Amino acid sequence: MRALSTSRWVVLGLCSVAAVAAETGEDRQLAITIYNDNLALIEHLRPLKLAAGRQRVEIPGVSAQILPQTVSFAAANLELMEQNFDYDLLTPHKLMEKAVGGNVRVVRTNPATGVETSETAQVLSIEGGTVLRIGNRIEVLRDDNLPARVVFDKVPDNLRARPTLSVLVNALAPVDQDVRLTYLSRGLGWAADYVAVFDEASGVLSMQGWITLSNRSGTGFANARAQLVAGNLNVTDPSADPDYRRGTDIQRRAGKEDGAQQRLADYYLYPLPHPTTIANQQTKQVSFLESDRVTASKGYEITFTDFASSDEPRSAEVRVRFANSKAAGLGAPLPAGVVRVYARDSRGQPQFIGEDKVGHTSGGSEIALRIGDAFDVTVTPTLNQTTRVNKRSSDYQMNYLVRNARAEAATVTVRQDGLWRFNEVRAESIKGRRTDADSFAWDVTVPPNGETQLTFTIRQGW
Amino acid sequence: MVMRRRVSGCWLLVALGASGAHAVEQRAEEVRVISAQPDSVSVTIYRDLFALITETRTVDLPAGPVTLVFDGVAETLMPQSAVVADTGRELRESNYDFELLTAAKLMEKNIGREMLLTRTNPATGKVRQVKATLIAANTEGVVFRSIDGNEALHCSGLPERLSFEELPGELTSKPTLSIRLAAGTPGKRQVRVSYLAHGFGWSADYVGKFSADSGRLDLHGWITLHNLTRAGFRDAQVQVVAGRLNLLDFEEDRGSSLIGATSEYLGDEFLDAARIEALEEAREDPDSLPNSLGQSIGYFSGCYPLGSSEIAENIVKFPDLSAVSAVHRLAEMDGAEQLDEVVVTGFRMSMAVRENLADYQMYRLPSRTDLAARQTKQVAFLHTPEVKVERFYGIRLSDSEEYGDEYAAESNFVPIDVKVGWRNRKADGLGEPLPGGLVRFFESAATGLVFAGDARLADTSVDTPVELVIGKSVDLGIAFEGSAEEPEPSALSLFTRRVYLPMHLRVLNDKTRPVVVEIRQGPMSELQDLRVVDASLAPKRKAGDYMWRFEVPAQGEQELSYKVGGRVPDWMRD
Repeated sequence: MRALSTSRWVVLGLCSVAAVAAETGEDRQLAITIYNDNLALIEHLRPLKLAAGRQRVEIPGVSAQILPQTVSFAAANLELMEQNFDYDLLTPHKLMEKAVGGNVRVVRTNPATGVETSETAQVLSIEGGTVLRIGNRIEVLRDDNLPARVVFDKVPDNLRARPTLSVLVNALAPVDQDVRLTYLSRGLGWAADYVAVFDEASGVLSMQGWITLSNRSGTGFANARAQLVAGNLNVTDPSADPDYRRGTDIQRRAGKEDGAQQRLADYYLYPLPHPTTIANQQTKQVSFLESDRVTASKGYEITFTDFASSDEPRSAEVRVRFANSKAAGLGAPLPAGVVRVYARDSRGQPQFIGEDKVGHTSGGSEIALRIGDAFDVTVTPTLNQTTRVNKRSSDYQMNYLVRNARAEAATVTVRQDGLWRFNEVRAESIKGRRTDADSFAWDVTVPPNGETQLTFTIRQGW
Repeated sequence: MVMRRRVSGCWLLVALGASGAHAVEQRAEEVRVISAQPDSVSVTIYRDLFALITETRTVDLPAGPVTLVFDGVAETLMPQSAVVADTGRELRESNYDFELLTAAKLMEKNIGREMLLTRTNPATGKVRQVKATLIAANTEGVVFRSIDGNEALHCSGLPERLSFEELPGELTSKPTLSIRLAAGTPGKRQVRVSYLAHGFGWSADYVGKFSADSGRLDLHGWITLHNLTRAGFRDAQVQVVAGRLNLLDFEEDRGSSLIGATSEYLGDEFLDAARIEALEEAREDPDSLPNSLGQSIGYFSGCYPLGSSEIAENIVKFPDLSAVSAVHRLAEMDGAEQLDEVVVTGFRMSMAVRENLADYQMYRLPSRTDLAARQTKQVAFLHTPEVKVERFYGIRLSDSEEYGDEYAAESNFVPIDVKVGWRNRKADGLGEPLPGGLVRFFESAATGLVFAGDARLADTSVDTPVELVIGKSVDLGIAFEGSAEEPEPSALSLFTRRVYLPMHLRVLNDKTRPVVVEIRQGPMSELQDLRVVDASLAPKRKAGDYMWRFEVPAQGEQELSYKVGGRVPDWMRD
């Protein structure tokens, strides 16, 4: 409730003690820019009322995973003297440690009568046990295992319940204005998640894109204007994982189409349409892309990197191919994320059939998602014969038995990859093609509930 | 409207004022509508330790913007997979809140707030309650302030506890899925909620009974499915999916697989082993699943140094067990059961029905069923009484096989594999896709069924040949003669770099019946362009190998001799 209406509150300080540190008010405006790799730029705009002079200002409610070295605190007529991020947590141990040399009260309860007695004690040491001087005797606290409360009159100022950001400022004149506080924080991140329902019969992919925002920073942010940045930033931090954004081999051709997205230098910006509250430990999803008619097709692929026989058939990989081009019904860059693919079962209910990741993908790119392995489309390799040609080269005669136990015909792209420097096809039962310097591919068509043999001889050498 | 908040020892009065130039857009007060339970639910279980839950829920939506809360979703939900469809309104956002009510969180959220400290005098039993303010609570302990001064909790050795008047609003007793919808037409609607959740699994198991002459197999297939979560599903439509899905790693890529990316497993057998291990682990400790409530209960305990260390350990335990179990109870969902329960529903042969799902096989349980928390269920999916099978004995000679040294060194008697083979086709009494699983074979003896070994079957599509090794022969073996000698290269072969390795073997059958034996000559890494020549029996080819198949008479033997010819690789030449 309080969080929802912060903008309408005006803060009136009614402090009776002037020596206490001033504190910034509630956020008037909160902007969060979130990057992919567990990093966010947070900008608070807060009211501050100060008398002239040097004083400490406490800034509560900042991210618990703030990177203190990135804090910037700026306002007119305000000189920043120093800035502290106080990590000295108030714990029972710290409390006793700070009391060394000082006095505490020890309250004992007589286990037989229940009568309480209170004594003043001086704390001498806390190494391996709390050593106290009570009157003229020295004892270790609770060495007798009998109940004894220790009462501290005062909690030292610099011990805090939570990590707190404070600044020491010099106000040149009384201040009554909004101050801007910006910093980077860990614990906030985002990624895209796509839900794609694939209708194989009509060759259509119905796609939804979600921005998934997660907050593990330890702090909630109320009513924030959030925007997300997609792009490969160089982040020098071992905990960030730049690998994630590169994607796998699924992008088949990079595109050049410009989307309607806002650009920020070399990155794409995704502003969320409404101010939003990002609670701690929350995962939030906001839709950013929806298209019901993306042209897509399914294909079977299998790659062999050596010439060898196997008794066990190997399943062909299932790929769903589409382009994020305007012509194909999806003219938008795709930020990096996971695509979860569904297909409808016999009752029309979407069932999950596999997932793959896309890297940041510019518009107009061709994508081939790896869905899984086909249960009913398999390839059994047999190395029929090897024959030495000369000192540096040999002939390899391979046979691939492609089986299709499905009720419809299937075309399987069989690739022979990882060939030596010199390679050529000497004979083939199906016309194939060279796919790159060290691979060839054959498109093998298999009738329903049938099988097709692919036989070829490759000469290779170095 | 006036609100008071205590900050740094002075009172701040916070009053409602006019919105300034920087005011954030006013958000209309949103109504929360809670959907307590689904009308119907479908659970599709995969072999990779998760399931797809699809629910239909009827909700009554007001005209204005609304926050719709879905109660009773499985706690192991993967938030990034949640989809809500058919709301008929603009979906502003979808939220999954995981700030759970735990003893630790309760403390943390109450820092700065007032509560009641209750102490019991151990001698008189007199209970004394004082108001106290929590001033610190973290993993190293709890500090509070009362009229007496500042003290640490559970360091005095006196029975003491803190109690709070109400729960902080942001804490929930279970993870909550909710969506925010824009304004729209009021009224009842059916919405569909679907999400993936960890903690489910299934496997196929087969029982095969040989006929008396071992020529036929009576094959039963069972689905064993597990719900390892605390969530129960009443009257659910349950499916299982057989197939190898491409899945990404849960930790690294925000994928759905707890055992790493499936593409990292080169062979199906490694993936199978990893799945089985993960399932066993989750069965033993369901709280190890991500998002499990059991995991998130933290303790806040810690004191300044006290007496000797053992005492300290005894004192600092916080919170007391009753508090923990209360939080547990609060967190548990209705009808949750701790016990594993096995329900066999297949005895009356109400079999799961198969259909093609994309490029996988899906089996639907014949009728709706209650899938209770921590439950294991079994249902039949296959019964083919007359599968034509062949039982034979086989050995593959190759230097990549494990027993290579064994026969070369001893060269007298090597037991060979007992194999069962069939072709998965209608004409041979089968012709059904077979999801991979363990097949247990039994023989019919006069005294009843005798276990005859087991083997793991891979996913097998129709018309694929199957060969399984179910054991080692007892009174059947091979004696090698002459193969251990170094081949003598002739002057000619030195020139051509060709060598010929003579092989001579005898298959000895001590059984009282004739048996079929299959000998395979596989590749040798020290011989290129391998050819078998001068064979005493004409070889055939099988999967690239040279192969002989013959019958060995009862208590008799069969000889086989041939030469393995090949070229010594260039890298081996001096």
